[in-house]
Amino acid sequence: MSSSGMDYVTQIEGHGIIRFDVKDGKPHVQMEVHEGSRMFESFLRGRRCDEVAQMSSRICGVCPVVHNYAAIQAVENAMGIVPSEQTIDLRRLGIVGQMVQSHTLHLYVLALPEYLGASGVSEVYRKHPDAFKRALKMRNVGNMIVDAVSGRAVHPVSSIPGGFSKLPMKPQLKEISKALKGILEDCVATYGLASSIKYPEFTRKTEYSAIDNGRYFPAYGGQIVSTEGVKAPLSEYTKYLNEAVREYSTTKFSSRNGHGFFVGSLSRVNLFKERLSGRAVELAEAGPVKFPSHNPFHNLVAQALELVHYTEEGIAIANKLARTLKDEVPAKVVRAGRGVGVVEAPRGTLFHEYGVDAKGIVNHVNIVTPTAQNLTNIEEDLYGLLTKNASAPREDLKRLADSLLRAYDPCFSCSTH
Amino acid sequence: MGKPRVAIFDLTDCEGCEVVILNSENVDKIVEGVEFVHFRIGQARNEFSEFDIAFIEGAAVTPEEVEFIKKVREHSKVVVALGTCACFGGIAALTNFADAEESKRYVYGEKASAFPTVKVQPLGAHIKVDVMVRGCPISKEDFDGLVSDVFAGRIPREHARPVCIDCKLKENPCLLVNKIPCAGPMSYGGCGAPCPSSNMPCDGCRGPLEVPELNAELELLKKIADEDDITRLFRKYAVVAPYFVTLNGEVKK
Repeated sequence: MSSSGMDYVTQIEGHGIIRFDVKDGKPHVQMEVHEGSRMFESFLRGRRCDEVAQMSSRICGVCPVVHNYAAIQAVENAMGIVPSEQTIDLRRLGIVGQMVQSHTLHLYVLALPEYLGASGVSEVYRKHPDAFKRALKMRNVGNMIVDAVSGRAVHPVSSIPGGFSKLPMKPQLKEISKALKGILEDCVATYGLASSIKYPEFTRKTEYSAIDNGRYFPAYGGQIVSTEGVKAPLSEYTKYLNEAVREYSTTKFSSRNGHGFFVGSLSRVNLFKERLSGRAVELAEAGPVKFPSHNPFHNLVAQALELVHYTEEGIAIANKLARTLKDEVPAKVVRAGRGVGVVEAPRGTLFHEYGVDAKGIVNHVNIVTPTAQNLTNIEEDLYGLLTKNASAPREDLKRLADSLLRAYDPCFSCSTH
Repeated sequence: MGKPRVAIFDLTDCEGCEVVILNSENVDKIVEGVEFVHFRIGQARNEFSEFDIAFIEGAAVTPEEVEFIKKVREHSKVVVALGTCACFGGIAALTNFADAEESKRYVYGEKASAFPTVKVQPLGAHIKVDVMVRGCPISKEDFDGLVSDVFAGRIPREHARPVCIDCKLKENPCLLVNKIPCAGPMSYGGCGAPCPSSNMPCDGCRGPLEVPELNAELELLKKIADEDDITRLFRKYAVVAPYFVTLNGEVKK
């Protein structure tokens, strides 16, 4: 925390400073994360394995659902619990709600205002009342889904290892389907807005990484894949991210084979655009932004495209569940084991790993968030961006660097945890 | 009178309470009715000057954060502790019960000493707090009530009642009757009982309620859960609230 709190990059989740200097056209840059560490990995040891998922949702108030689900999946894998198809469908629906909540917030409140000539949320309200209203409408639907599926809009309650302590009712699922249909055109309009913006011209090809479940667009579970040919089972996740501690950042830096890699919407769309929903595929093919794209600012366009995709996918899942939902008692097993869980968070691939003893007490924890994975790539992109624009005035460079960071939708509460 | 000059600061936390603010039904009324002087997550132009109301979300876990909130206090007429991390240290205070150095080494390895921390305390231990908004996260209803109070020039008041009242209003079956350890009778309510409504026990995220039957409630819990589980039940979110500290033993330095 700096003394006045004024140095931090605005309109991002958490506290970060881009420290840079350009000398003779050569930049030096450090991505400093100043978020305080709560040390989740340490204090979750000694907890019961059936309570860590609810506690670990507190890692992040913007994306609590995905932390909750990744932890649940890890505990289930440690216990050898195989959740039912209905449980997985409900979790996928919860992720749809999370994506709508998070992408809407990020695009309309954090990332797009600067391109719309608005300083922040108050100016979006005054200068772009239609966009503001659209954002509220979409946000409400995201909240309603998470509330119905997991019991509360922020910090899930009912999603637990083995299933759900309380299931939504069929009429709620019909409501969800109707509400999602009601925002589909708003998502399309959001894509229209995000894709029409002239972003800084900056491309730097890197490795794009996500998870692949073999069937649908990345969301819940799967193996690790990348544009550089990685195809690895979840249990080997640490082989594909080398974590380094740097004194200037409370978040560790991940790298793969000595370089940065990208996780998030842009990676998912670059890797799996053919798995997008019907409407999203049409929009992506029509352009103006073509995927795969190597411009990190296009992560914002990919997020908007995903809003269309997840909304359409959510309609299909909710319709299915509204027909087939039945009472299920969550499976319960307690045994010693170790398990990894993986979910695509709004910001990218999220890993949780827990070791559990024979009494069900957690004795090992490792959590690697998307922003931690992106951190090396962010520094490499900042270096490239500053090199390309080395002769620009410092104020312009700062603005450009901040915008680049914002486009990644970083979450430093998550990444530091 | 001009618009109230408002600041929203976040310390170490999840920012979920700020998300609840952005989820408020009154968000348009708020952006219309107040001047955000400092709101880092919500706008690009911020200044650190004088504030009518400063909301502080999160816990101070670093020496810099402790200094920072003292400065905020000096510049603010009213300080609101937003959420349980601000009111009671929150989940970050769990580290108080462990060996701080070992915890840091577990997370950061050899370079652990590069990241100084302090014992996690309620904001009220460092500065005078005028209003507490409890909850992990705060509830939309509480926040909207606070907004109405602020616009009407009223001082917000807390309404002490156990979570059991919320449960009764929701017509939830009692978890304790079904031998599920629940902190509801000893915990501050007003939350709408989202946890028991999902068949999950209350874990006291709004902090303790001083009930006369405290010992009787504890005896009841001891009949259905072992002491480790009871400690775990209370040692989650409102970790350094006054009597939960006593219940759990001293806070380690």
